[in-house]
Amino acid sequence: MTPNLPETDDELLMRMRSGDEQAFVAIYRRRQAAIYRFALHMSGSATVAEDVAQEVFLALIREECGFDPRRGTLSGYLFGIARKLVLRHVERGRPDVTLETDMDSSALPELMINDDPLADLIDREGIEALRRSVLALPRRYREVVVLCDLEEVDYGEAAIVLGCPIGTVRSRLHRARALLLEKLSQRWHHRPGAIALKPIRCLI
Amino acid sequence: MNCQEFWNTMPELAHQAEDGHFEHVRECAACAALLNRQRTLASGLRRLAADWRSVEAPARVESRLTAAFLGQAGLTVLRPATRWWVPVATWATAAVAVVALATFLARDRHVVPAHRTTSNRVELAAVEPPADLEMLGDFSGADNDFIPVPNAARIEPNEDLNLVRVEVPRSAMIALGYAVSEDRASEPVEAEVVLGADGLARAVRFLD
Repeated sequence: MTPNLPETDDELLMRMRSGDEQAFVAIYRRRQAAIYRFALHMSGSATVAEDVAQEVFLALIREECGFDPRRGTLSGYLFGIARKLVLRHVERGRPDVTLETDMDSSALPELMINDDPLADLIDREGIEALRRSVLALPRRYREVVVLCDLEEVDYGEAAIVLGCPIGTVRSRLHRARALLLEKLSQRWHHRPGAIALKPIRCLI
Repeated sequence: MNCQEFWNTMPELAHQAEDGHFEHVRECAACAALLNRQRTLASGLRRLAADWRSVEAPARVESRLTAAFLGQAGLTVLRPATRWWVPVATWATAAVAVVALATFLARDRHVVPAHRTTSNRVELAAVEPPADLEMLGDFSGADNDFIPVPNAARIEPNEDLNLVRVEVPRSAMIALGYAVSEDRASEPVEAEVVLGADGLARAVRFLD
């Protein structure tokens, strides 16, 4: 008996283009969360993220950008539109980093005192700090971290989305992680009672 | 392996490190600390991704998009019909316009001759008088088909004659001895009339 495999994006897209509403809903439900999260991580604004998610799928409905399966995946195509729309929001004068927090922070745990600036990444406060650090990254570094580390897009697809070589994705990612470590350390050092770390020099 | 070689060959976020890397880490506290920080960062990013896994667009977005899709799908269904009818309708309209124009022009051409427009209308013949007009002096001859008008004066030699073409009711032929059915009596018929110098008709011939 043939297992009932889920339809691929391309199969759903073909059905959708013939007017099948269920196919469109299936595509939307499969891809909307990643697009919405990408826009939210990039803009820091739930309003912008909602607008972007809506516009991305409207573009798909209207076939405005002409998705071609031979040139990449549907996921990459949608991320590409979302990226352009986020940039457009930025260019319109919306704040690039709003630090708008839509998540409920009332349930955050008590802050733990720890000598390691990254040790608190294991708790919710640390994760929220990490999120804010990602949001504070320059755009070109923020988008690679969001795509590759948070949405687990592979480097090849990220390169297509960003329109740059894979090597550039790798180097930006390396730089972005270094910046994140730096930001997290700064954040930790500015905490009340924080202990300054002594510089360590490699002797080998 | 020194620090530079270590970081140049270190896989992304310290995954899949090789034995050489572990050896360097054991010997270099700074690189070990930095590697540990990177691993912690990687762990934090995975945790952040996992925490946000349930974050998605509000349900209202799906509602709006579904409505937009249905609207668009409706247009898509109509599009082929529209595309099919548009050229057909265009060509049909163009054809009707051409036919109407041709009919109008053709009708104009038929209307232009004055002698066909109204009954009993008289015009001077634009053509040269027929050769048999010279023989009208002798109406009794069989060389022409002009019929002398009853009780009309005889045409004098060298009299100045005019030939006019008229359209008269077919019933006028009865007075000259032609048999005409009643149902066609009101139909027009063309005739050429010879007028004498006094302007009175002297002879007639029907062209039908």
